[in-house]
Amino acid sequence: MINNNWVSLFLMLCCIFLGLTALASLVRAIKGPRFTDRLMAGNMIGTMVIAMMCILSVYQNQSFLIDVALVYALLSILSVVVLARLVIIRRYGQLEREMKTPVLEDRRIQK
Amino acid sequence: MIRFVTDLIGVVLISSSMFVFASSVLGIYRFRYVLNRMHSAALCETLGMMLLVSGLTFLLGISWHSAKMILIVVFLWMASPVASHLIARAEVLTHAHITDELEVVDDERHI
Repeated sequence: MINNNWVSLFLMLCCIFLGLTALASLVRAIKGPRFTDRLMAGNMIGTMVIAMMCILSVYQNQSFLIDVALVYALLSILSVVVLARLVIIRRYGQLEREMKTPVLEDRRIQK
Repeated sequence: MIRFVTDLIGVVLISSSMFVFASSVLGIYRFRYVLNRMHSAALCETLGMMLLVSGLTFLLGISWHSAKMILIVVFLWMASPVASHLIARAEVLTHAHITDELEVVDDERHI
């Protein structure tokens, strides 16, 4: 625990505020009209959780929580990249079946 | 006395990062389309995390703990443009009427 009293109170208020903003991002992820809205809101929630972990590690003065935050950053970015790549690759396959030409080779498609 | 000054600088920096997080959450509700919303979503994981980690570094002092937090920010700055690029590419590939949403329209559709 950090020794100053008002600084620790401020850090706790910041954690509560970040929780509220993550909740608002979750509402956007539920409401979002397209799936990219949901991906983007999930990415934002991951960033806010990383910020909360950083604040908590300073609040409790525990250095191991920052390692957890580092691994969480790696995994949250990886999940977004994997989901977006999956959609892009399936869309390429769909375009190839529609047009009967390999898309990835010429890379330019007339409208 | 010097401890009070560094704590005050850290609290001011963390407060401004909370302002950036709040404006980012406001942005994902105010904007109309995903490609506009991604602008404000990227704001929270570049400027917000940078201000937050610099404020926490002022609270902690120079140590391995703050060095690992700076490592998290460096990783997020490298990985967040990749995730945003992939999300935008998935959106442009899968939207059926993408030219209705854009103001500047290219004649040929680059995939």
